[in-house]
Amino acid sequence: MQTQQAEVGAGAPGGAWDRVVDLVSRYPVTVITIFFIIFPFVVPYKALATQIIIWGLFALGYNVCLGYTGMLSFGHAAYFGVGAYTLGIVLIRLWENLWFGLACATFMGAFTALILGFMCIKRKGIYFALLTLAFAQLLYFLAFQWVDLTGGDNGLRHIPAVPLPLPGFTVDIQDPLRFYFLVLFFVVLALMLLQRVLQSPFGRVLEAVRENDPRARSCGYETTNVRWMAFIISGAISGLAGGLYALYLHFVGIETLYWVTSGQILMITLLGGMGSFIGPFIGAGVFLFLEDVLSAITDNWMIFLGTIFILCVLFFPEGIWGSVMKLVNRSAGKKG
Amino acid sequence: MPKHQKGKGKGVSRRSFFKTTGVAAGAAALGGFHFTRTAQASKPLKLGCPLPLTGPYGTEALDQKAGAQLAVDQINAKGGVLGRKVELVVRDTKLKADEASRRAKELIESVGVELMTGCLSASNQLAVNEQCKLAGIPYMSISQANEITERGDASVYTWHEALNPHQTTQAVGGWVGKNFGKRWYFLTSDYAFGWQLTDGLRRAGKAYGIMDVGETKHPLGTSDFSSYFPRIMAAKPDVLFLDNFGKDQLNSVKQATSFGMKKKMQLICPVLLASARLGAGTKAYEGVKGGTSFYWQQDIPTAQAFTKAFWDKNGRPPIDYAGYAYGGVLELLGGVNRAGKLAALPLAKALEGRKYDNYKGPQWWRPCDHQSQQDVFILESKPPKKKYDVFKIIDTVSGANEALMRTCVEVGAVKGKPMRVGLKK
Repeated sequence: MQTQQAEVGAGAPGGAWDRVVDLVSRYPVTVITIFFIIFPFVVPYKALATQIIIWGLFALGYNVCLGYTGMLSFGHAAYFGVGAYTLGIVLIRLWENLWFGLACATFMGAFTALILGFMCIKRKGIYFALLTLAFAQLLYFLAFQWVDLTGGDNGLRHIPAVPLPLPGFTVDIQDPLRFYFLVLFFVVLALMLLQRVLQSPFGRVLEAVRENDPRARSCGYETTNVRWMAFIISGAISGLAGGLYALYLHFVGIETLYWVTSGQILMITLLGGMGSFIGPFIGAGVFLFLEDVLSAITDNWMIFLGTIFILCVLFFPEGIWGSVMKLVNRSAGKKG
Repeated sequence: MPKHQKGKGKGVSRRSFFKTTGVAAGAAALGGFHFTRTAQASKPLKLGCPLPLTGPYGTEALDQKAGAQLAVDQINAKGGVLGRKVELVVRDTKLKADEASRRAKELIESVGVELMTGCLSASNQLAVNEQCKLAGIPYMSISQANEITERGDASVYTWHEALNPHQTTQAVGGWVGKNFGKRWYFLTSDYAFGWQLTDGLRRAGKAYGIMDVGETKHPLGTSDFSSYFPRIMAAKPDVLFLDNFGKDQLNSVKQATSFGMKKKMQLICPVLLASARLGAGTKAYEGVKGGTSFYWQQDIPTAQAFTKAFWDKNGRPPIDYAGYAYGGVLELLGGVNRAGKLAALPLAKALEGRKYDNYKGPQWWRPCDHQSQQDVFILESKPPKKKYDVFKIIDTVSGANEALMRTCVEVGAVKGKPMRVGLKK
């Protein structure tokens, strides 16, 4: 897909718009990074920008599962929530170190995906979706009941406001803008690693599995393990996003593990467009921005958000970014 | 277009792209800063108020909003706070704790609120309290929770105007123990608030030698309770406590009535809501008794004044949660006025140990945990003679001398010492 676009872009003379699209598809990580450096200065408030890139990161992790490997998971709240709770519990009980906390969150996200993936990965389609949902709900009720560790229904509180330790000095990250750039650092890191993974032979196999599992198997790939691996990567990124979310709010609500979160991340990914780097971020931006704006205007904001979502799914099944790309490709094709 | 054609190689087009975006970013950044600066020049004092406007507690949240707004209007009519007009900024928490947390963060960081009130349900309050403690903003909590005045959550910034489940259950449990049978059954909303009501009632009942004949937990937001009733009937209780709130209370009372439970047992709602009673109707609530912090027909001058002002503005009498919001906001804003400046420590000194009567009779701020001491009223539902005339006050349980409260030691504070935890320099 990427090479195809590059060819089209190089072949057609195109306008400024085509050049931008060409750049975006050739250097997605650079473009996303630049865009998000500007981003906090143009949104209504910085906390919203932070929230959008955290959810964008979560959607990016989810997209590894849904967009790149074609597995519809309905239980990603589990990895996000486990990451969030891990960060909180580590900072409260073990060690007030931010790097350590985030590393633990990422690891626990991956580890949970490893365990749950082991039990779900051999099923496909609706069975896979329902199994992941069931296991995520299991974790939800575990957290709900285990009040001593998780705070139960009242949520995990008293997460200390720790500074960011760097070699030689520490940085206070309570300032919204500084915290935003800390999150952005992790987003860019995750993007670069993910790009490396997806452009490797392993990434190609993922796409092969998504497009035609039996054929990939007949080519000699152990597709179950490939999907399991993708699931674990997805869990790790989701766990990291969860850890950042806990750090951002200094609080973990029990809703983080609830199935509604899984539904939301699916909505965000579908809204933005699957199978690309940019789609999840656009989805998170549109979703959270609409939620923010609409819920300030009306109490019945969910009706409008739901309607917009249904219209998007009906008329732009590739999501916002997918539709834009399709449109651009078509116009480029005409000119060429 | 020679430049473009020359630069079809990646280098130049990428550079020009950077240039354009850079200029755009600079312009946007400057514009944004300019805007915030002008906004700060003529600023009213903003009072943040996150409430669960959508969800099962929406009706009560709307009354809280109206109560808080009334208090703000009255203060503004008297010249505002420290010469500044007060503006109430309401946000919807959707009854989710992390949403409440996000909204509080947004209110603090982008709206620039300097004081906070609001929330319904323990988890929401605790989440908002956490944000307020971090930012050093005084928070007046206006819904029931035990934890908020306990060690860990309580702080010099935290104030709790509402009753807590402990006070409510000690009053209601004691009253029921004196007046009704000994076999008690609990229908509990399955989250902290419900658990705390049930635990508190059990504790209060011990002194009267009650028998706990069973408990059924239902999830928050249950619409069909009928499957729970046969088991409750089989336990043959004298009293059935409905330890729930909002629409859950409305639905459970309605369905218990149509199931014929009332013929066999007394229904008690520890937090008996006028809003649920009005929603369910006379017949459903007939004979149901319970506790409240406020009822609009109270024969107390401040209660009458509050009811009249609220009614004139909203066309209906206030419910108990409107009272919490009204009383709490008056205390918070009045406290800042008396303190003479907007800071946590002077505010604490202005409120701690203060005796006041805003809307329901005598109240007192206990210094050690910032909990408001107050009376609990026992109500019985009755057929209305006129609209909104739905309860009869059958008893008053006095809260004087910390009778209904946990001791300072029990909540992890030091008796006689004012709360100073978490004070930022």
